[in-house]
Amino acid sequence: MKRKRRKTVLVLILIACSLFLTGCWGTREVEELEPLIGLGFDLGQKPGTYLITEQFAKPTKGETSTSAEIHRTFSIEASSLREAYEKTSKIISHVPFMGSLKVIVIGEDVAKVGFLDVADFLQRYSEFRRSMYLVLAKGKAQSILNVKMRTGTIVAMYIKDNIETGKTISTYPTVRLGHYLTVLGRKSTAPIMPVIEMVKSGDEGIEYETDGKEEAQELRIQGAGVFRGDQLIDFLNDEETKGYMWLENQVLQRPMSTVGTRKGEPNFTGQVLNSKTRYKVSDKDGTIGLQYQIKASIEIDEVQGLKEQLSETEWVDLMKGAEKSFAKVIQKECELSIQKERRLGLDFLGIGRHIEERNSAYWKTVKDQWEQKIADFPVSVNVEVTIHHSGMSNSSATVN
Amino acid sequence: MNMIKDLTIRPKVKQIRKSPQYSFEEDLNKPLSRQMVKEILSTSTDVVFREFFLQGKERISCMLAAIDGMVDKNQLDQFILKPLMVDLAGHPEMAQLTIANVLDKTIQSILPGLELKKISKMGEALDAILSGDAVIFFGESIEALVFGARGWANRGVAEPITESIVKGPREGFSETLRINTSLLRRKIKHPSLRMISLKLGNLTNTDIVVTYIEKVARPDIVAEVFRRLGTIKMDSMLGNGYIEEMIEDNPYSPFPQIAFTERPDVLAGKLLEGKVGIIVDGTPIVLSVPATLTQFLNVNEDYYQRAMVAILGRFIRYLGFFLALLAPSIYIAVTTVHQEIIPTDLLMSISAGQQGVPFPALLEALIMTIVLEILQEAGLRLPKPIGSTIGIVGALVIGDAAVKASLVSPLMVIVIGLTAIASYAIPTFDLGLAVRIIRFPFMLLAGSLGFFGISVGLYMLTIHLLTLRSFGVPYLSPIAPLRIRALLQDTFVRAPWWALKRRPQLLDVEEPQSGGKGKG
Amino acid sequence: MTLGSAVLMGGTFVLIASGVTVASGRDGWMTVLPGFAVGIPYGLMVLSVLLQYPNKNLLQISEILFGKWIGKIIGMIYILITGYYGGLLVAMLGNMYRTIMPLTPLWVFYLGELLLVLYLLGSGIEVFARFSEVVFPVIVIALALNIVLAIPQIEQGELLPILSEGITPLFFGVLKVMPFPMIYILFLAGISSFLPTSKQDLGQLKTGVWRAVFLVGILNMMVVLIQILVFGPRETIRLGNGILVLGKSIEISRTVSGIESLFMGVWLGAMVIKITACSFMVSWGIETVFNLKGLKWNLIVGAVFLGIAFGFTRGPYMLKEVSLVEGYLMFPLTSVWIPILWGVSRWKKGAGNQ
Repeated sequence: MKRKRRKTVLVLILIACSLFLTGCWGTREVEELEPLIGLGFDLGQKPGTYLITEQFAKPTKGETSTSAEIHRTFSIEASSLREAYEKTSKIISHVPFMGSLKVIVIGEDVAKVGFLDVADFLQRYSEFRRSMYLVLAKGKAQSILNVKMRTGTIVAMYIKDNIETGKTISTYPTVRLGHYLTVLGRKSTAPIMPVIEMVKSGDEGIEYETDGKEEAQELRIQGAGVFRGDQLIDFLNDEETKGYMWLENQVLQRPMSTVGTRKGEPNFTGQVLNSKTRYKVSDKDGTIGLQYQIKASIEIDEVQGLKEQLSETEWVDLMKGAEKSFAKVIQKECELSIQKERRLGLDFLGIGRHIEERNSAYWKTVKDQWEQKIADFPVSVNVEVTIHHSGMSNSSATVN
Repeated sequence: MNMIKDLTIRPKVKQIRKSPQYSFEEDLNKPLSRQMVKEILSTSTDVVFREFFLQGKERISCMLAAIDGMVDKNQLDQFILKPLMVDLAGHPEMAQLTIANVLDKTIQSILPGLELKKISKMGEALDAILSGDAVIFFGESIEALVFGARGWANRGVAEPITESIVKGPREGFSETLRINTSLLRRKIKHPSLRMISLKLGNLTNTDIVVTYIEKVARPDIVAEVFRRLGTIKMDSMLGNGYIEEMIEDNPYSPFPQIAFTERPDVLAGKLLEGKVGIIVDGTPIVLSVPATLTQFLNVNEDYYQRAMVAILGRFIRYLGFFLALLAPSIYIAVTTVHQEIIPTDLLMSISAGQQGVPFPALLEALIMTIVLEILQEAGLRLPKPIGSTIGIVGALVIGDAAVKASLVSPLMVIVIGLTAIASYAIPTFDLGLAVRIIRFPFMLLAGSLGFFGISVGLYMLTIHLLTLRSFGVPYLSPIAPLRIRALLQDTFVRAPWWALKRRPQLLDVEEPQSGGKGKG
Repeated sequence: MTLGSAVLMGGTFVLIASGVTVASGRDGWMTVLPGFAVGIPYGLMVLSVLLQYPNKNLLQISEILFGKWIGKIIGMIYILITGYYGGLLVAMLGNMYRTIMPLTPLWVFYLGELLLVLYLLGSGIEVFARFSEVVFPVIVIALALNIVLAIPQIEQGELLPILSEGITPLFFGVLKVMPFPMIYILFLAGISSFLPTSKQDLGQLKTGVWRAVFLVGILNMMVVLIQILVFGPRETIRLGNGILVLGKSIEISRTVSGIESLFMGVWLGAMVIKITACSFMVSWGIETVFNLKGLKWNLIVGAVFLGIAFGFTRGPYMLKEVSLVEGYLMFPLTSVWIPILWGVSRWKKGAGNQ
């Protein structure tokens, strides 16, 4: 019996060993890979095709291995991502690796037409992940991805880093693929995406040294685009996007200023330390509305226009005045955003969703005409600001 | 809670393992014959025969037989020859000596000496002389006297080489059985400490002492130890390794099922837990059974340190165990199959490092591991002064040169180096060996099947460990079967002494005393 | 009662999120625990039958109570269903793994799984129990980690509104969940010949059943909950392998991401436990009905599983088949057989006492 058992064990071991002899199936060596970092979509010349821009990172050879700054960017005209993949693979000697894709840039033209078809690959193929960032390009995605940045970084990595440090200024939303898909699934909410654009030296008061070239060498993320489903309808400017951030409770840290709102009085600038937005469904005599309540805590960083030294009580009054001014600024941004929503008839602020959460019975009655209802749906915003502290000094450095 | 009938301790019926044996002609049960003894032993020149006379009522021709170098000659001179030849002369006792009564009289009143006894068989006489005692023959009597006067050169009590700790006793076992038993006796001064001797090995006649604490060790385990030792029929018994292989439950497994130690305090600790010790003459390594996996990862030092420090130490050792086993495999799996886990920057670094290396990652890892094994083995065998130099030369210089020549990638060198260091954190040499063996199949699995392969390998390993028993005790106690108290107290963490109120649950001992009842 | 929990858990967490959300929408997570809890009365019934006929498994008891032929027929059905299900599970695991390692041929996965299953089968029920004792905590920890690490990805307010559709959809969800504990009950039915039967042990077993159901139920509920929270109900429905995608979307402090491959090793263990349970059931069935035992038969069982698995290389079709088997074969068998058994045994006991 023991002999027989030993034999069966041996046979099983041999079978197990044969696993290794037949070769390596799913294995691929690291140096075979060419990681794909950025992807861009535009409309192609031929109808029915897209211009797909692929940005790969090229690892450098050598002992001192640092993250490579060298990249290769291709723009392929193809009718689908898989076809583009095939065309690219014919050119590059390595295997394109999708798992490292970080940023997807959607060109304005393809956004207006609807990009979900071409993006289907992104959410179906297993190598991608739902945490990739989506940005909307003003103009063509191809030109954005081909900008020769002055820092020398790969554009896609730059965009990713920019988004990730964006939370310190909280002026535009961070949209990952997963989030976008979830919002899409809600049907009542219109998805939005941050906008990336090129900045030439001399644009809007920003100047930098170029090497004499005419093209832009810096990029900026500002503003957002509003979609119906997967079609771009309109853009939000900077202030409207900021309003969105407030109303959707996405402000983590935000520099603010009251310049321009107070005439003849000192102006303040500061940083929002934390902020919380709550909303409540209000019922005024049968009319359902939504009330936003924003509470923000600000630290003051700059005081301008202070002409004299103030006593303590005067300083406290000044601070109170500052609170009101800041609240006004926030209020204005929110209202601009709400007005835009009403004009567009697209609920990017997610008001419908909030109604659904709190009062689903009412929601059921209005959800089918929601786009029309937005135009006059009662929304109110109430802002409360507290000044947490005013920095290192209590008063200005004025002499008198 | 185990809903299935608790079949935990189940000493298996062992097959008798055969090994080659010579057969000799002597029948060692024959009655004693002084002439025969002289014939058998006189061909070796280190056997000394001293003949002398006792003039009593009869003239008794005596012979003292001993082996020069094994016997303490001073004792022979002072306590055998002097009393018999010098002090007895002219003594009234002398006049009454006959061959019939000389033996009894010698024992009772003539010779001082602690160990003095009568023997009457050939085997006993030969054994006594060959073990280093002196045998006194009186006339043609078929009885003789054995005088215990062993004294040979030995290493004495030195610091143990394989186990070193920072804060604790530094005595280690020696090659002489009596010294070892005495060291153990000094740790446990209780009459329940039993030491039972037996001899193993047809040609070597090695003395073995089985030791345990009477009420603490489980009787069936003790009985099983004796039974298994009894089945050993070998010619040579030169060291503990021979015994280990013959009495292990599963000699095909790479994992050791018998623990060993060179330190009397460790052995005492194990005996106090209910284990059985086997001391073998001629080697300072003492075996202890039963052994479980977690035991191999614990060090006695844990008990001499404070609880917090000991916990950290244990944690590091367990981590080292897993790293030593899996680090190369995980690295291979991640870089060849599951690259999506690696953050992009690291991916580029690894890629940059591997550009120009001619081997695929798996092959690279295998080659490096084999080189590592060669280095380790070489380091063991080399004489001390050269040994440490080779370590430095081999590891640093050659490794660095290999990287520069693009033969290996730098990250691989780091991973393999980490593995080597981690494997030194495993306190028991045997377990370290097991890990080294098992590392290879894991690497192969990882290289072809990625994490699936590693998972399958790990599960297979777990199942194998679960089926292992050491003298009937499941190898993975107290993890499975789950004995929570033992797990919490003494496995991954060590509870402070004031919290260890009960004896470890491992072996279900019955004594409801000081330690309390440890029932699962 | 770790063995029970492990068998109950099996691979349920993979498909449960999507299935439950299809049936009950946003509130699907609430249906998980009640669905699992249905297993409790069945489990208790099995145990109380056991009390009367100690040391026999339920197939043997069926023979005693219903007569030889009916008992044997029940045994045959038992073998067929558990065998078929086991084969399907083998295919399911291969399918899951292939989504992250697409180029490895299927038979490799099957071989790996079956190697483990056969090793466990050959080593006996005791080793199997200890194996699950070791592996189940790892599974629990991995699931908990998966859930906790996905918390940063939660979309606010996805759970609301609660019960907007009323209670009725919940019933559908519960119906979907109910088949899951049934295989566990069948396992209990087979293992009963090994269980100790003193009064005190029986008490422990009963608590064991409660504990298993609650632990697994709560864990599965959390899995569904987190998926609804992160993806929203519509996406949860769409994503077949929700737990995998959850693993993929985890990002730990921006360095390590997509650690689903690590978790896959754990799911392998969970599924292997379930498949081994199925194969044990088949072998007990064969033993009881046909009086055959031995290594040879175990290998044949393994081969049969392999064959079944190969018949289902198309992923979606296979998943549908799994839920069919669960819903229409296992559930009726268990829900009918066990209570009848219990009822008859009580009746006989009553009759015997008078």
